[in-house]
Amino acid sequence: MEGGVDWCGFVRRRGLQREQDPARVTLLIPMKLTFALPMVLLFGWISTASARPYVNDKKAPEDRKDLEVIQKSLTSVLPKARAATVCIDLGEGSGSGVIVSEDGLVLTAAHVSTGVGKELTVIMEDGKKLKAESLGLVADTDAAMVKILEKGPFPFVEIDRAESTKLGDWVFSLGHSGGFDKERGSVVRLGRLVRIANATFQSDCTLIGGDSGGPLFDLEGRLIGIHSRVGAQLQVNMHVPMKVYVENWDGMMKSEFIGEGPFAQKPVKGNGFLGLATEARDEGGLKVTKVGRESPAEEAGIKEGDVILKMNDVDLKTREQMQDLLKEMAAGDKLALELLRDGKKETINLKLGER
Amino acid sequence: MNAKLILTSILLGSALNTAAFQSLESNYRTTGNGVVAAFEPQRQVLQTSSAVILDGRREIQYGVVVSPEGHILTKASELKEVKKLGVTVDGTQYKEVEILGTDEDWDVALLKVPAAGLIPVVYAPTSAVEQGTWVVANGATTRTKRRLLAGIISAKPREIPIAGGAAIGLQLETKGKQLEIKEVVEKSGAEEAGLKKGDLVISVDGKAISKIEEMAEALKGKKPGVIVKVIVSRAKKEMAFDVKLMARSQMVEEEVTRNDQMSGEYSARRSGFPRVLQHDIMLGSRRNIGGPLLDLDGRCLGMNIARVNRCENFTIPCEELKEIAARMIKEAAK
Repeated sequence: MEGGVDWCGFVRRRGLQREQDPARVTLLIPMKLTFALPMVLLFGWISTASARPYVNDKKAPEDRKDLEVIQKSLTSVLPKARAATVCIDLGEGSGSGVIVSEDGLVLTAAHVSTGVGKELTVIMEDGKKLKAESLGLVADTDAAMVKILEKGPFPFVEIDRAESTKLGDWVFSLGHSGGFDKERGSVVRLGRLVRIANATFQSDCTLIGGDSGGPLFDLEGRLIGIHSRVGAQLQVNMHVPMKVYVENWDGMMKSEFIGEGPFAQKPVKGNGFLGLATEARDEGGLKVTKVGRESPAEEAGIKEGDVILKMNDVDLKTREQMQDLLKEMAAGDKLALELLRDGKKETINLKLGER
Repeated sequence: MNAKLILTSILLGSALNTAAFQSLESNYRTTGNGVVAAFEPQRQVLQTSSAVILDGRREIQYGVVVSPEGHILTKASELKEVKKLGVTVDGTQYKEVEILGTDEDWDVALLKVPAAGLIPVVYAPTSAVEQGTWVVANGATTRTKRRLLAGIISAKPREIPIAGGAAIGLQLETKGKQLEIKEVVEKSGAEEAGLKKGDLVISVDGKAISKIEEMAEALKGKKPGVIVKVIVSRAKKEMAFDVKLMARSQMVEEEVTRNDQMSGEYSARRSGFPRVLQHDIMLGSRRNIGGPLLDLDGRCLGMNIARVNRCENFTIPCEELKEIAARMIKEAAK
């Protein structure tokens, strides 16, 4: 809780100021031409021909009929949007996310997934818990992807890849405000798109901790943004526009860590912790002479006397060789160890802890 | 997507670095006058059927007009510190205000002003409206004119259990095979009943208690306000006490969370309601609580009872509100 930001997420370790005014860029038009087409093909995007509600093109609703159009649009697309909105539980806190493909691809915020290859739990609206893993992220704009590892099909929403949202459009947000609450369900809020900058949408749909990573929709039920952060005023609620996801789609799918902070910190090479002491055997492999208490090695079930034959498919002959391999890795990285135990080979998978 | 395209986007980004962002003028934002104007018919209902509750000249919250004779419901817990209670309905200010009764379960107080011919709210036929339905509540006010704020029903109706649950107010310690009172919490039911440090607990509601877990089991599921019979041994003499359980939050100050910090002024009592509706109106302050929640027909869906945080507000549903009003008026007439 030392950080200064009002993240929509949970407990953050690093300090950042409240949303500084990013009076930078409005970059809307060029992207449309460049990226819309390949993306459509990749994910079998089906265009639904629902019309843009006319109220969006009015400065303000004028009468009851206008208000009812907004309400009717919202209530007709809400059930589908709600079914695809999930809670992302990280153990030490929770955020939100939204499923965008039948096989369980989830979009969320980088400060929710916090890194690449992290194990997470996705909770559906009905409380069902699913195993998931984080894919890539964009650290400087707060975008991230998560993949549900269990079998679908899952309810999902369509992404607005055409960037058709305009300033003043009526929009709604969903999210598990303050954490998952089955009795309450995810919370819906209605507002307008009040500011558009390069990598940020601002709406007056009020957000709070736990909403981070949750979806912002237009009145046609298309995903237009992901909740990121808030300002002190109720009207200041920031979302990452779909543009950022579309631009970084391939990299995120390949589990790349894109950009530098502030929303996620790159793993530091060499800070991984295994917790083993070994000695080389003449016939190859490293014999475990000591296992550190409460170390990742101990938790994975490695015992004194085990012989490590391979680490991530590399034959081990010397201790230096193992140290060199570990130097290139970071906390959270996966390790596959091929062991010789009581004359039998077995493989143990574990994750490095933090030194 | 290939590397060339990514590069292109970066170049375009820097090329357009000087371009300004687009911003919607505040008049057309959800709480802006330009938008709020579309709700004028509902505002007129607030004008006549919501009450402004005052402490001297200061507006402290709103109320719901429930009878032509001047019965008004409002949030009870906010009235505790009030020195000079006043009420304004429409353009008329009333300085003689009686508090006829209080309902602890719902945190509702019944007020009476010397009036005739007030226009009470018309209850909606049901509070079971779809999520996403427009709702209207009191916003700021001037001396003569009520203003409004609009939003939507935003979550499922449900019970809100008391935060932290009910507590007896004792710190216990195992002494051999008995439980000894190590500390009696200040202002707790236990202190009020006269329990003392050093007393040895024998039973609660007839159940023998020798372990902390047994005490927890005996109190499990009990609500604040419930009285339990505690038998203790003091100086080798058995003594019985009737102890009233209290909300933990009444004894120990509630922890302020990060979400609270970013929420502005929230209601001091925001949990422990038998059933509520939830809406997303940007009330901004706990002072905008107590008034009616209206639908687009101007009918009363309920009474706003708590601003919980930045994005969540609770409302007593109209079915229950109607019953509370009828019951409290009847009790007051006795």
